[in-house]
Amino acid sequence: MTMLDLLALAPVLVLVMGASTLLMVGAWHHEPRPLIAGGIAVALVAAATAGMTPPGGAEIAGLFSSAPFARYFAILWALTAALILMLSLRYAGERAFAAGEYVALILFSAAGMALLSGATSLVGLFLSLESFTLALYILVSFHRNSDIGAEAGLKYLVLGAVATGFMAFGIALIYAASGTFHLPEALAGLQTGGQLRPWGLLGWGLLLVALGFKISLVPFHLWTPDVYQGAPAPVTALLATGSKGAVGAALVMVLGSAAGAWQELVPLLWLLALATMLVGSLCALPQENLKRLLAYSSLVHMGYLLTALLPGSPEGYGAVVFYLTVYAVASLGAFGVLTSLSDPRGEPQDLAAWRGLGYRYPLRALVLTACLLSLAGMPLTGGFIGKFALFSAAIKGGFTGLAVIAIFASLISFAYYLRVVMVLYSSDDPRELHSGTPLEHAVLLVCVTAVLLTGLYPGPLLDLTAALVP
Amino acid sequence: MTAATTLPQFPWLSLLIGLPLAGALLCLLHRRSRQECRWLALATTLATLAICIGLFVACRHGDGPWLLREDAAWIPRFGIRYTLGLDGLSLLLTLLTAGLHVVAVLLAWPEQRRLPQFLALLLVLESGLMGVFLAVDLVLFYLFWEVMLLPMLFLIGIWGGENRRRAAVRFFLYTLAGSLAMLVAMIALYLLHGAQSGSYSFALADLLQTRLPLTQEYLLFGGFMLAFAIKAPLVPFHTWQPDALSEAPANGAVDVTGLLLKTGIYGMIRFAFPLFPNATRDALPLLAALALVGLFHAAWSAYRQDDVKRILAYSSISHLGLVLLGLAAWNTTAWQGSVLLMVTHGIVTGALFAVVAMLRSRTGTRNLNELGGLWGAAPQLSACFLFFALASLGLPGLANFAGEILVLLGTFRSQPLWALLALPGLVFTAAYLLRLVQGTLWGPAPAARAAIPDLTVREWLVLLPLIVLTVWLGLAPAPLLAPLAAVGGLP
Repeated sequence: MTMLDLLALAPVLVLVMGASTLLMVGAWHHEPRPLIAGGIAVALVAAATAGMTPPGGAEIAGLFSSAPFARYFAILWALTAALILMLSLRYAGERAFAAGEYVALILFSAAGMALLSGATSLVGLFLSLESFTLALYILVSFHRNSDIGAEAGLKYLVLGAVATGFMAFGIALIYAASGTFHLPEALAGLQTGGQLRPWGLLGWGLLLVALGFKISLVPFHLWTPDVYQGAPAPVTALLATGSKGAVGAALVMVLGSAAGAWQELVPLLWLLALATMLVGSLCALPQENLKRLLAYSSLVHMGYLLTALLPGSPEGYGAVVFYLTVYAVASLGAFGVLTSLSDPRGEPQDLAAWRGLGYRYPLRALVLTACLLSLAGMPLTGGFIGKFALFSAAIKGGFTGLAVIAIFASLISFAYYLRVVMVLYSSDDPRELHSGTPLEHAVLLVCVTAVLLTGLYPGPLLDLTAALVP
Repeated sequence: MTAATTLPQFPWLSLLIGLPLAGALLCLLHRRSRQECRWLALATTLATLAICIGLFVACRHGDGPWLLREDAAWIPRFGIRYTLGLDGLSLLLTLLTAGLHVVAVLLAWPEQRRLPQFLALLLVLESGLMGVFLAVDLVLFYLFWEVMLLPMLFLIGIWGGENRRRAAVRFFLYTLAGSLAMLVAMIALYLLHGAQSGSYSFALADLLQTRLPLTQEYLLFGGFMLAFAIKAPLVPFHTWQPDALSEAPANGAVDVTGLLLKTGIYGMIRFAFPLFPNATRDALPLLAALALVGLFHAAWSAYRQDDVKRILAYSSISHLGLVLLGLAAWNTTAWQGSVLLMVTHGIVTGALFAVVAMLRSRTGTRNLNELGGLWGAAPQLSACFLFFALASLGLPGLANFAGEILVLLGTFRSQPLWALLALPGLVFTAAYLLRLVQGTLWGPAPAARAAIPDLTVREWLVLLPLIVLTVWLGLAPAPLLAPLAAVGGLP
């Protein structure tokens, strides 16, 4: 490992070192506020480091890319971690979370996500995916006194472990067929694999299954609603944004590293996308629990992403990166509102608890409305531009049928997102919930500003994301 | 451009969109004082109306396809530009929008629940409608087209009648389904055009150059027309409309709802017909058939309703059937009649909805069976009601007459059969409107009714300009027809 490698790894190193330090400090000092504040500082420093170090050309140890693509996601996930920690400040304190461990785990998982988004080798993919999933196993059931939290943790662990098994076996098969772990060669080897080609394809299928678990593609989605519901709201935010987003970015890296090499997998991916969008839409419709609703709707969003990945075109990849960004921001805003309305009694997950909140807490209701509309794809929000980019890339690539289905799914998505909005502004007497801290309001303001800015003036971000993709 | 000589250089069109939006924000910021909000909203709508009238006076004789135009880069990666254009057609419709919003704000004066938010949403709606009538970049148009749904959703969903939530969401999803079909067609057209010309653009002027095989043209035309037909509403797609109109809050929102229907017709004239001329030509008989079915079906449905607002809702569909028939006849006379009828129908039906709102606030009911004998109790209100009902059924000398007669004449010239078929429809119209008037104004008054106060000064302020306009446009519609002469896309 050269000096250059270390420099390229600097953002991740900052996250990991900071996390380790805070973990140690947390063993002696139990006061949560300074620890979480330290975590926020570490995440922000990591984001700044990622922004300032010049992108090196070489790969780090042949495992991770240090290209602008990886750098962009390192910044994004570090900032996400910082915002989630800001949201956790009161939430974790009220629930007496062991702050040192909590902060450290969130930073570790951000580091894992940053690495995963730039993995160029199957080994790197496996290592980084497992490193942040391990952190999330603990985080999901961090609230020790919560029964549904424990259930969620167990489900996530068992199904995640199965996915890990699939992944390891898939990688082994790919290695057997192609003789390399390095992604472009491994994909290229698929075409020249000769007799071992079927095994290689099976390996790729298994790898996709494992990634499908993480971004909850149907039929590997069964854990999603329970885990979303049971995990503490800030952790759910991390699951929804970083975890899914990093795997999405990894998919772009994997599929984009050798265009055309995975033609055989296209029908399979097509079917996965179709099933994911349909099941997600239909299951989201009757939900009465906001977290479960967002869980099912997250399936639909992953389906949209697949729709644009399928053509294998630079436009599609650029659109996916753009969409991942606006999706992360809007999800963070939605879960942020949920977090800031939570009090020691619990989270107001049931829609019934949200009746009339638009009049009692108008600002946060507006933020939630804007974020949900962005998720639905309303013009003026980033979600519209994102979907526009995704679907036009899909249509351009010849996947018109799937794009039409995706647009149909987004019509249905308006039905369930609007139901929440209508509940917010129904005329019943609103319940009293937490009035939120200034810091929480600031985080929400950041999210809603980003949602509107990417909708009104998306040009710069579109150009940036288009320039990032391989 | 002759307009520029009389008009100072200024982004007037952006102002038309931005001013109501600014007013809406101010209303929300001043939500502590209801009185301030009322005056703010009134001032905003009046200012917007003043600009519209100013533009009308200054630009109506401009030559060239656009009287005013604004253009700026927006999302260069997709070839999306911020392009606004004003021609004779959009001039009339922005004028109508601005005028009806002044009426709406005046009608909303007594609203008790959450008045500032109500007014803010009305203003946002005005801004969205202005955008729809001015945008000439397809994505920009789509943006306004969708955005104007939101305030309407909240206006119906929060302030509406008993079934408001259902009506609101149904309205939203119906129209959205059409819009998304249009979005797909738009993207497809954009890609086809890009593949042909090498430059990807959403500007209407560029896309008009696209050459399409007939099958593709049919498909894309279908996508666009689905959006516009649902909004218009053309008959098989109309089921959302009576619910939405009858649940819409009486105080001011409902006459604005009528404007939404015009956006559908406008979309056909501005986008669907010129972009796909061959498909349009082949679809005209179908369009005429649907228009005729709509004319009769809606008139018959209106006759069978007991709810006054529903009668008016169906009457809107019926009138728009006539407008569509005029478009389908495809000649200048009929088209001018259609556009004229669209504007006058907005004024007359808006006024009728306003009168019904006043009636409802006095009697507490909209049911024909519980009304009656109003003439004795409130003669001024009754006279206004009768006046607008007569205008609506096309009494010569009042506003709707000129438009209707032009539509029928023009249609008769190219398609005599269609015109003959449409004539009995007008008899139907007379039937349900007379039943409406008879059921409310005459007959025995319900025994248990308390005394009904007659029109107040504020209500006169609302109705008097509308009465003047109705008479004026009935006697001299020429000023409205003049700007239409140079509109592109007309046959």
